[in-house]
Amino acid sequence: MLKYISSCFILLATLMVNANTPIEDPIASAVNPFYKYDYEECDFCGCGSTGGGMGYGTIGNENFIGIRYIYQRYQSRDGIFNNSPWVEENFNTLQLWGKIPVTEKLSVTAILPYHFHNRNFVDGSSQSINGIGDLSVLAFYSLITPKVDGLYANQQTSIKHMLEIGGGVKMPTGAYDRANNEGSVNPSFQVGTGSWDYILAANYSVGYETWGLGVLANYTFKTENNVDYHFGNQFTYGVNVSKVYNTLSIDKIIPYAGLAGEVYAENESYGLPVADTKGNVMFARLGAEISFGKLGTGVNVMLPVYQSLNAGNVEAKYRLGLHLNYML
Amino acid sequence: MKTIIKLQLLILTLALSVISCSSDDDATQELSGENNLTIEFDNSVNGDDLLLGTSSYTNSNGETLTINRFNYIVSNFVLIDAEGNEYVYPKDDSYFVVSEEEAMNEVVLENIPAGDYVAMRFGVGVDQEKYLQGAEGQGDFLQIAEETEMMWSWQAGYKFLNFEGIFTSATVTEATNFQIHMGSHGSSLDNYKEVTVELPTTALVSESLSPIVHFAVDANEILDGNTKILLSEKAVVMIDEVKSPQIAVNATGMFRVDHVHNGENIEH
Repeated sequence: MLKYISSCFILLATLMVNANTPIEDPIASAVNPFYKYDYEECDFCGCGSTGGGMGYGTIGNENFIGIRYIYQRYQSRDGIFNNSPWVEENFNTLQLWGKIPVTEKLSVTAILPYHFHNRNFVDGSSQSINGIGDLSVLAFYSLITPKVDGLYANQQTSIKHMLEIGGGVKMPTGAYDRANNEGSVNPSFQVGTGSWDYILAANYSVGYETWGLGVLANYTFKTENNVDYHFGNQFTYGVNVSKVYNTLSIDKIIPYAGLAGEVYAENESYGLPVADTKGNVMFARLGAEISFGKLGTGVNVMLPVYQSLNAGNVEAKYRLGLHLNYML
Repeated sequence: MKTIIKLQLLILTLALSVISCSSDDDATQELSGENNLTIEFDNSVNGDDLLLGTSSYTNSNGETLTINRFNYIVSNFVLIDAEGNEYVYPKDDSYFVVSEEEAMNEVVLENIPAGDYVAMRFGVGVDQEKYLQGAEGQGDFLQIAEETEMMWSWQAGYKFLNFEGIFTSATVTEATNFQIHMGSHGSSLDNYKEVTVELPTTALVSESLSPIVHFAVDANEILDGNTKILLSEKAVVMIDEVKSPQIAVNATGMFRVDHVHNGENIEH
């Protein structure tokens, strides 16, 4: 029952806010693509809902529905010694995702992932898991909406700010198998956490002419799943700088560069801390988004610049993301 | 103003949703019944996995060893719970050989009463009480010890530790065999020692929970422990009234619990 109530809160929030929303200029957010930098949820390796610190949205942050592919490469230590062998891990995620406006200031983002992961052991054996992952639904509310430039000089601003906050829920629609969590290899080799997790998020961005700067932070409260495993809470942050280019043949090209990081608290099993499960990782991120009419596509890569995951027993190698969206 | 009210509503809604889920499940179940507790002895040398015959390891004595045999006897297990209560595993069933070459690395203690165990005590070797029960009193263990090179003869007694290989050093440049056979030598010299280790995570035993306690056992401690034992001085140590007791103490320093897996019927 509690879970039902919790998962319905987005609907409630929507109704409440909706009732009070004044009518504003509907083209406000279409002026410059940097007003919003969307919520960026990351998952450690396989089992989060969205994948790889690549965000719930696009740099340009239009409303859309689309598909996204995320590849993450890890290696993790199979054993407890300095010379224990590494296991190569490949995390693949295909997502249906969308950002749908509800009112001028409120939007709902949903992501449904399908994961297909595999890992290769030194003895030549391998293990694969695949399946629907955890469905995430978030609501975002815009606190600061950039002003639309008027015709006169005193109605125009060169710097435009955007701030939005949001929250949501990640539901245990993906399977969690405790057996994959034993041994000393990566505890996140899963397609789901098996838990109801709750997310708070904030995004700020500022645009100046064709330049944009985005900053984001979010926090995921994770809960114990039904087999008494509790993934640690997670803090995610990111900073991106982007620039818009317009050409005749392509509507927009937006290259961007930045940093994105994740901090994980210790996991718990049967209420007891699991040693060597906390950590943090920071990536350098490079990418670009291109739009042609109603279609938008993007690519980005993330390379670790600093990491300390699972006491060094897990190493992130790189992440790659591709998406194709239809703008609403 | 309207924006602020809306914001308050939104934050309130979010806060409620977070609170409503944190009060969920999490009921700590009462531990009842009994189950197995598995102990894995993962052998290593100074932080590296022990690989017989292939890798060489240099210790702080400046001696480089290639290890060909690493066998030892562990016995008389006692589990200690959070309240300090001790569960003594039945003595007749409490003798085990750990042998790297035979891949005997696992000790399964059966029918352990439910509990939250925070520490463990056990012996390295065979105590005099057991030995003085005579050959018949040893049960199957006598045969296991013979098959794993853990006996000299019945009169001479058990080898508690059988550590063999080849080594070189500054003074011994030719690869030379070494043999460390430590034991009690009948009833004249008692080298049986006990070790108490704390578990980094409580091991939970119940009808549905059967934990694995994963030891990292450091063979480097035998020569490079409390007392430095130089193979260059003596490469074959069997019956030695000075070095054998020192090695027995060093051997107690080999044992550290790396981690504990809690779970039901888990594969490690």
